[in-house]
Amino acid sequence: MEDLIRTALAAVDDPGVVHADVRVVAPYRFVQLAVKNGAASALTDARTEALGVRVRTARAWGFATTTDLRPGPAREVARLAVRLAQAAGRHSREFLRVTDDPAAKGGRYATPLKVDPFTMTFDPVLELLTAAEKGLHVSRAVKSGMATFNAWEENKWYGSSDGASYVSRIVHVGAGVAATAVRGSNVQRRSAPTSFGGDFSQAGFEFVESLDLAGRAPEVGRQAAALLEAPVCPTGPTTLVLGSAQLALQVHESVGHAVELDRIFGSEAAFAGTSWVSSEKVGTLRYGSDHMNVVADATVPGGLGTFGWDDEGVVAQRTPIVHRGILVGTLSSRESAAELGLQRSGGTARASGGDRAPLVRMTNINLEPGDSSFEELLEGVKEGVYLDMNRSWSIDDRRLNFQFGTEFGRRIVRGELGGMVRNPIYSGMTPAFWASMDAVGDRSTRHLWGLPNCGKGQPIQEARVSHAAPIARFRRVAVRGG
Amino acid sequence: MPRRTSRPAEGDLRTVLAKLPAGTTGDVRVITSSSTTIRFANGRIHQPHLERATHVSFRAAEGGRLATATGSDPSAAGLKALALTARSLSRVAPVEQKFPGFASPKGRGPSRTVYSKTTADLSPEEATHLAEELLDTAAAEAPGSRVAGFVHVGHDVLHVANSSGLDRTTEHSLAYANILVRRPEHDPPVSGWSEGAHWDAARLEPALLGREAAERMARTTPQPVEPGAYPVVLRGPAVADLLRFLAHLGFGANGEVEGWSCLGRFRGKKVAPASVTLLDDPRSAETIPQAIDYEGTWTARTPLIEKGVAGNVVTDLLTSGRLGRRLTGHALPPEAPWGEYGPTPSRMILGKGDADEDELVRETRRGLLVTRFHYVRVVDPGRGVITGMTRDGTYVIENGELVRPARNLRFTESVLTALKGITLLGRERRTYFDDGSAVTAPPVAVRAFRFTSATLF
Repeated sequence: MEDLIRTALAAVDDPGVVHADVRVVAPYRFVQLAVKNGAASALTDARTEALGVRVRTARAWGFATTTDLRPGPAREVARLAVRLAQAAGRHSREFLRVTDDPAAKGGRYATPLKVDPFTMTFDPVLELLTAAEKGLHVSRAVKSGMATFNAWEENKWYGSSDGASYVSRIVHVGAGVAATAVRGSNVQRRSAPTSFGGDFSQAGFEFVESLDLAGRAPEVGRQAAALLEAPVCPTGPTTLVLGSAQLALQVHESVGHAVELDRIFGSEAAFAGTSWVSSEKVGTLRYGSDHMNVVADATVPGGLGTFGWDDEGVVAQRTPIVHRGILVGTLSSRESAAELGLQRSGGTARASGGDRAPLVRMTNINLEPGDSSFEELLEGVKEGVYLDMNRSWSIDDRRLNFQFGTEFGRRIVRGELGGMVRNPIYSGMTPAFWASMDAVGDRSTRHLWGLPNCGKGQPIQEARVSHAAPIARFRRVAVRGG
Repeated sequence: MPRRTSRPAEGDLRTVLAKLPAGTTGDVRVITSSSTTIRFANGRIHQPHLERATHVSFRAAEGGRLATATGSDPSAAGLKALALTARSLSRVAPVEQKFPGFASPKGRGPSRTVYSKTTADLSPEEATHLAEELLDTAAAEAPGSRVAGFVHVGHDVLHVANSSGLDRTTEHSLAYANILVRRPEHDPPVSGWSEGAHWDAARLEPALLGREAAERMARTTPQPVEPGAYPVVLRGPAVADLLRFLAHLGFGANGEVEGWSCLGRFRGKKVAPASVTLLDDPRSAETIPQAIDYEGTWTARTPLIEKGVAGNVVTDLLTSGRLGRRLTGHALPPEAPWGEYGPTPSRMILGKGDADEDELVRETRRGLLVTRFHYVRVVDPGRGVITGMTRDGTYVIENGELVRPARNLRFTESVLTALKGITLLGRERRTYFDDGSAVTAPPVAVRAFRFTSATLF
């Protein structure tokens, strides 16, 4: 692959090009195994290859990619990337600036794992899924059960015109179960360890085994059926205790995306949107209460956003984002960091594969733990609800007004968890919501959740990211039954 | 240099299929594509992207056990390797009792669908020029504003073959663009939007889109509006979003198989006024045409709502077997983004009325004009309830006139309620393309649409 990278870089022979980098991802593998109602729903083994060439002239970028890894096509796309940059540069009046970051020189990164999912047979995986899915059908009300397993392997070679290079092999795995109970138009879904495919980690098959899907399945099925009978969630402002899985998504949507520097600068304005955060307020903006501490940590073991170097060759970092409620950092690439006046990139430029150019993406955006146990979080609640496991999510294009539905809720009465409620929805405005957080759970309530489907960019790129989140308590939140 | 998709040497699909052992059948798809995407923001082209890709997928069936392997090598060796992987995976799969077998080659195929060779031949410079036209028009119409958006031009060849003897190839061309004109320094920020898609890049009309986006941006400060149910006039992009969710929740085959389809109880019943007719018509030149689906079945016009009456779900081979219904030719590409819904209409055309957009507004005493929705998600699939935000051009209508821009609102509403409440349909249709799905729709007026909260801009 190093030869192929040299071939592509050599083809970028235009004097107007000031930088070029080449990534080859080969193979990129994705295995999806799913059992739905006793039958195979999706059994897919994908093995693709791609080479991407990115060039920078004084005024513009160009990116071109091919799935044909022969020298001829590699040279051809290198030249096409140059033509694109030249054409794009015609319209630009300003010079591009990028940070000057230390280059990776011959670096190597590999996921530490015990059982490599890409060298084992799939029989034990299918056995595990079949048993887990069967366990969901504890009631006739459960009309649909599903057990899924996903694994990704990314083998990447990176090289640039300034001599940077690294090789990495990253493996992500995950699995989950979900039961759907139906009565007329009343449709209830419960899943484990969480919704949308379960939990994911940078690890081997040992992570999937540790999830104990078969052990969890009967309770998931029972809860889905029980939700059909549960009362609708009461409506009104109330105290909300958010479970760790839902809080992870809250962090993702209302903090992670909002602090992406390309969004802040308007690069994503037409598609994903912009941000309520403005660049000049980094360091002074009150994002939430004093209990709020958030870091972007691309070094945490097991995170889907953990790597050696990003897709611009910048080393993985741990960056404080919110400290005691004040915004202190952002997610950045070499270009966006330079635009903010930083000396170094935050190292969060990531591409979903060799066929996509890197964008500012989340890594592992983690809410730091507090010092309350789950019981202590509940003790302070006279009346409220405990909600967890996302069912629907939506937020405006500046990441302010959000509305989340969860799979289930439980009433909290005088510090005790009560009965289940169905169709809970809570909504709010980002800074007011985080300002209302008056207690944060300790490490015993915290979990690192993998989120495999974060979409951004055109053409679309799906990033896998993680969020560590504890359980936390919020006051006077608008909650209602849908 | 040849500008069209350079197709890598493709192995003979029928040879690979013929070599499958007795008792094993299969189908193969080879998709060879070439596309250029030019993104721009803050008045400059910031992310130009050119892509040449080949995706191959091989699905094997052994005694009702199905599995798919995908890759990017279409050579004979690559196909053989994929067949082996799919077969090895299928051996451990649970048995699918209702798989009817692969598509039959019998029956005369309909004529080819329209396709633009000129679009397929567009150079990177020509694609960039389309983006420049958008940028220049918007800059001229709204001086001092910031302009963002994108242009995508693409071409692909889909070749499907199976062990029943089917062997079909089709070509598609696609061009689509969108543009956002905004003033972020305004408090609160204001913006305007336009978009369009066509199979022929020459008919994309970038100057028109640029002008529309500029015109739709508020010139005065948006005012807060109390959440509540309002009559609405929905511009085309907003209509397209609602119809995509109606397709997923009401006409997707998986919802019917699993019993949660929001239209499951209403097939053959009236769900909209008689003025509403919705087709899925992949062969029409009014959409982005698609001659075959990803299993090689010829596509055909499928009525979804006829004069207000709900029709059936669409199917692929597997769901037609599971539901015991007619095969409609709606197989998805492997790893489709909306795969959980199963086969779904993706070339919808909403019948038009005879009002222009101004008349829709004139017929509204007090309500809202919505240009576009953002981040729409399902809240309750069984009742078809979805939620999302308005953005990029929301206005208050009073006594048939746009009186002031409104701050954006969150809606939480059932697509069925919206459908039932359609009072007027516009006469000018445009095609909107997103995530592989084309919707051709006019603007519509809806009697009542529920907004549940408001944002700060």
